[in-house]
Amino acid sequence: MSATIDGASRWLGPGAQSSEQITALISAPILERLSWRNWWIAFLAASALTVIMWISAIYLLAEGIGVWGVNSVIVWGFAIANYVWWIGIGNAGTLISALLLLTHQQWRSSLNRFAETMTLFAASIAGLFPIFHLGRPYVLYWIVPYPNRMGLWPQWRSALVWDFWAISVYILFSFLFWYAGLIPDLAVLRDRARNPTTRRIYGAFALGWRGSARHWDIQQRMYRAMAAIAVPMVCLVHSIVALDFAASLMPGWQETIFPPYFVVGALYSGFGIVVILAASLRWGFGFESLITREHFEVIARVLLAAATVMGISYAAEWFTAWYSNDAADVSQVIYQFTGTYWPMYLGQLLFNCIIPQVFWWPAARRSITAVVVVSVIINIGMWFERILIVWNTLGHGHMPSAWRIFLPTFWDWSLLFGSLGFFAFLFLLFTRVLPAVSIHEVNLLRHEEQKA
Amino acid sequence: MNRTPAELHTNRRRALQLLSSSLAIALTRCGEPREEIVPYVEMPERLVPGIPVRYATALPMAGYGRGVLGITIDGRPIKLEGNPRDEFGGGGTDIFAESAVLSLYDPDRSRIPIKDGIVASWEQFSGEWANGPGAGTANGGAGMALVTGRITSPTMLAGITALKMRYPELRQYRYEAAHDDAPRLGAQRAFGRNLDVIPHLGQADVIVVLDADPLGPGPNFLHNANEFSLRRNSQQPQRIHVAESGLTLMGAMADRRIAVRPQRIAQIARALASGFGVNTGAPGLSPSETAFVQTAAADLKQAGRGLILAGETQSGSVHALAHFLNSQLHAPVDLLNPADPEEQNHAASFSAFLRDVESGQIRSLIILDANPVYDSADSRQLAKAIAAIPFSVHCGCYANETADACRWHLPLSHPLESWGDLKSPGGATLLMQPLIRTLYDTRSSAELLNLLTMAAPMGARDLVRANWMPSGGSDFEQWWRQSLTAGVVPNSAPAPVSATAAMPSFETVQDPPQGVTLSLVPSPSVWDGRYANNAWLQECPAPFTKEVWGNAVQLSPEDAARIGVGFGDAIILRRGYSEIEAVAAVLKGQPQGAARAFLGQGRWRAGDIGNGIGVRMTALCPTGLERQIDGISIRAGGKTGLIHTTQYHTKLEGRDEDIFPLAASAQIASRLAQLKPDTGGIVPPLPADPYAWAMVIDNNLCIGCNACVIACQAENNVAVVGPDEVDLGRDMHWLRVDVYELDEADGLRRGFQPVPCMHCETAPCEPVCPVAASVHDHEGLNVQVYNRCIGTRFCESNCPYKVRRFNFFGYSRGQEYGNLGQPPVRAQHNPNVSVRGRGVMEKCTYCVQRISAARKNAEKEDRLIRDGEVKPACAVACPTHAIQFGNRNDANSAVAQLQHDPRHFSLLAHLDTRPRTTYLAKVWNPPAGQTG
Repeated sequence: MSATIDGASRWLGPGAQSSEQITALISAPILERLSWRNWWIAFLAASALTVIMWISAIYLLAEGIGVWGVNSVIVWGFAIANYVWWIGIGNAGTLISALLLLTHQQWRSSLNRFAETMTLFAASIAGLFPIFHLGRPYVLYWIVPYPNRMGLWPQWRSALVWDFWAISVYILFSFLFWYAGLIPDLAVLRDRARNPTTRRIYGAFALGWRGSARHWDIQQRMYRAMAAIAVPMVCLVHSIVALDFAASLMPGWQETIFPPYFVVGALYSGFGIVVILAASLRWGFGFESLITREHFEVIARVLLAAATVMGISYAAEWFTAWYSNDAADVSQVIYQFTGTYWPMYLGQLLFNCIIPQVFWWPAARRSITAVVVVSVIINIGMWFERILIVWNTLGHGHMPSAWRIFLPTFWDWSLLFGSLGFFAFLFLLFTRVLPAVSIHEVNLLRHEEQKA
Repeated sequence: MNRTPAELHTNRRRALQLLSSSLAIALTRCGEPREEIVPYVEMPERLVPGIPVRYATALPMAGYGRGVLGITIDGRPIKLEGNPRDEFGGGGTDIFAESAVLSLYDPDRSRIPIKDGIVASWEQFSGEWANGPGAGTANGGAGMALVTGRITSPTMLAGITALKMRYPELRQYRYEAAHDDAPRLGAQRAFGRNLDVIPHLGQADVIVVLDADPLGPGPNFLHNANEFSLRRNSQQPQRIHVAESGLTLMGAMADRRIAVRPQRIAQIARALASGFGVNTGAPGLSPSETAFVQTAAADLKQAGRGLILAGETQSGSVHALAHFLNSQLHAPVDLLNPADPEEQNHAASFSAFLRDVESGQIRSLIILDANPVYDSADSRQLAKAIAAIPFSVHCGCYANETADACRWHLPLSHPLESWGDLKSPGGATLLMQPLIRTLYDTRSSAELLNLLTMAAPMGARDLVRANWMPSGGSDFEQWWRQSLTAGVVPNSAPAPVSATAAMPSFETVQDPPQGVTLSLVPSPSVWDGRYANNAWLQECPAPFTKEVWGNAVQLSPEDAARIGVGFGDAIILRRGYSEIEAVAAVLKGQPQGAARAFLGQGRWRAGDIGNGIGVRMTALCPTGLERQIDGISIRAGGKTGLIHTTQYHTKLEGRDEDIFPLAASAQIASRLAQLKPDTGGIVPPLPADPYAWAMVIDNNLCIGCNACVIACQAENNVAVVGPDEVDLGRDMHWLRVDVYELDEADGLRRGFQPVPCMHCETAPCEPVCPVAASVHDHEGLNVQVYNRCIGTRFCESNCPYKVRRFNFFGYSRGQEYGNLGQPPVRAQHNPNVSVRGRGVMEKCTYCVQRISAARKNAEKEDRLIRDGEVKPACAVACPTHAIQFGNRNDANSAVAQLQHDPRHFSLLAHLDTRPRTTYLAKVWNPPAGQTG
């Protein structure tokens, strides 16, 4: 595997062949006067959606969750699906970064920074949905064990309490992991900034990084140790999200396959979003030399593998239902294929399992357009999966007399699309404030590549 | 009135005076009546704040009375229960009785006399009456007319007699929109006079039902339901054959049912009669009809006592034939002199009224608690004619459609505010005593008649007492107190009369005409429309369609397919030049060529709740009182296209054994032995406690009448959400009655199953709540702590029975439907039950407040709560006693006994939730040659 393009190394393009080239390229959006036009257009669009999201949220808080389409039977709706979808995306960044670090996959260097940032934003947005979803969000803190006169404690058997801890710990940990990797780059920005205020701010956050051998030693050891913690933790977090469903007795939820299948699903949709962000950065900031066609090619392979695992997981659900011979489980699977939402279910299978199979063809893997389009499709498919888990099971449970359907309202949609805009809003700000690609790790990669 | 400027000037002192006096007025308004009222059981030494007191009174239902006990707390009636001393009714209630307490506090009730749309006063009316029509004694009151509904009240009848004495030329018209002309005609033909025929369902071994619905809503409902259940509970089998033109509650209970067009019923009746030696000619029957008649006739001949019941949409001759056959079969029916003394039939009286109004013969019109403008087919025409009458007055609780057409509207008191008396259909007299002082400036009907007679002003209590003074004997006061305590006048039930039914003559039966035949039956939620402004009733699901807030037309699947509509699609019904837009409810079990619709909707001056709901079906009638209309053409189309329902799926999907087992009576033990819940789960049993509350519901006794649903709503402050929220699937009933299609070889019948919270011992809702708002108490109740709930809704998503209800909006606090947030409505709330705010989950509590009250009493006496001491509202209301509640740890309690019944099963037992609410399976008793 030592293919090179025009003399450049596999993972770096011709524009990133020296330390100065790389540093200048990455820090340009932050420190140099580039054309801001496209950024502003994107930023305004994202801001508009952000405003819609917060109007939707404020209306929701003022009027009550009755503004959504939830009903007495399908008591969960978009909020839970959005939450699982976002937390899935949120899980991928840290997983990608840490897992690839531990497995010495050098190509992670171009991706890990913005992937981790994606994690932070996505997990934070995900964390908003369970709060919006509450009937009485103003007493959210009752889920936290705090000393109170009534001597009440959270109810520890509830998967929601586990979930609360999982998300909180995960966001905190992801932040620390992200920050630990960011310190050397903050020092670079400090050193390159011409504006004294800017220099002072970056300097403060760089925590006095001088780049001494001892600094590097401590940073690298800590970073690898955190990565070693991160991998099992990510799996745990999304397993616990899966337990929100699996620790129940509803047909279609009560399945032991849920935790692993949710973890793979998270990785899958997260990689999809990484592709979209990578392509945007490549195009918007001219990072062609940092994020190469090769990156898309390997990600496409990961997507292909994940798609296959998803397909097997779905099939395992059908098999288990048939093998259990439980009327409610069998009926649930039949309902998935023939019930109210069958087009969405077929869409889910098509988008998540069938379409990614194009990546068996190298040409598809090497076409950035193809990888981006498939990634968008995968994320739509994954959202279908999450909403159908909620709708199908709750709407088609044990009592036929309580079978119902869900009718989404404007407020359901506005919060979903608004949250996408809010994510873009945060990410666009990030690209202008912090290096979207890790400067020191890409430099290391260049060093390794050139050595080879 | 002249006032000096000083008086008009308001200073601080004066403002405070006004404020405090108005507050005092407001506070005293809600309180006990000024006259002495007598509590039901024991007289408390003084009224203890917050302690409920029960009073016996009576409520009118289509003019007949039914005894109820009103529970009042601090002078506010908050709940009604059946009066067991009213022996005719048997102690249960129906939805109309349960919901009367909400009507009392209806903000849309009339509060003050109105003349020409402007606020007036009683004095002004008395003056105008005395100087106007009332002065016309010289000409005997010529041109004066009185329109009423059915009147059985002795005091009212005496008042009308007095009025007629004063104005001998007064014409009285009496009609009910949901009338009983067909049974009256039948009695006239068979017996030569009017007789009330009261069947005893419990004493018949075989019942053949010809398009009747004795278990449907109506004045006799409580009586029939009670008798039906007593027989079902006994070990003696009974068989019910039903031939009918639409789904009825009796049809749902049938052991053998066929669905035929209404015209075929007469043929079937004749064929049945020919088996008993009546020469009826040779009617042509279809093979299925022949088979039905043969098995029914064979059963009737074999049985000890048979009973034939004909329906109110059938003709008088079918009824006459039924009377004749009943006398041949020595059927258990009582013949009574009618409680309603009016000789004329309803339709005839109504037609005469229409004719006389149109011809201008009426110069002064008094409409007493009736709504002819709405009831008439051509409302606009009648309103115009009434408006042309020089002096017209409408008296009623609401300023309704008729009040709009009249010059005067006088507000009547609600029955719960009035003194009075009523006769039950069984003939016993019930006394009404007010549970609360009149909320507004209203008068009772008796007072009003007194006012029109221009006799010395008398209160309603004195009028009633004066009427009963002769019956009271020497110690009238003691007699009066005794009667008020019981709510029933002692020994007032008349003895049955004996009469022989003559062999009826037969009309030629024509073949069913072209087009669809539409049967109009009283609504199971708003009766003939008089209850249309009651939100509980509007949101009470119809038994088969589970429709709320509307009256869809029930069509057979064949007819629906022919015109290309599905459930909930818009249709247009046409007869001649009359056309109405409606909604189709496609129902299996409805015969082809026959449609069925409920009366009582489509009102435009009912009030905030009832306006514009559904369609006024009587617009298709020639006059308005016809109950069966031939030659209707139905096509798809029209604007309205939405049906509001609470249950979308009525098939069992092969889960009969888990949800609704059905066994033929011969095979109960063997069939149901396998349903015994497996008690060997991994979760240890609950620790021992003196009490283990449990409920057993008998599917075999549930007739789907919804009394429990409304009783629960009244007792537990359950919110009404309105049609839009129902469409989103957010009805709040803590107790729902599921209906299932029971596919059997001989036609479609239904099964009903009330589903409250199961109070599972291993409740799936409990471990998933993150804040311990769903917890178990030591007596086995699964309790919901409202103020701990943060609204994750995990409990409901994990509830296999889906019995929890969520406040998506502040349905009871701040975001109420319609006018339900207005202050008078809140007075109905039970102070012993929390009113739930937005964002919390709620559910059935087994009426924990009642358990708690009983525990207090028991602990005061240092004993355990006795069996039967605690009854949840649903169990008290159930007219068939299908719901039993008690302590399972007491081996002698009713529930502990029922749990050993071979029919006993748990809902979804395989989930090992160990429900405390369990069921007894439905049993059917198929005729020979049929098996389950």
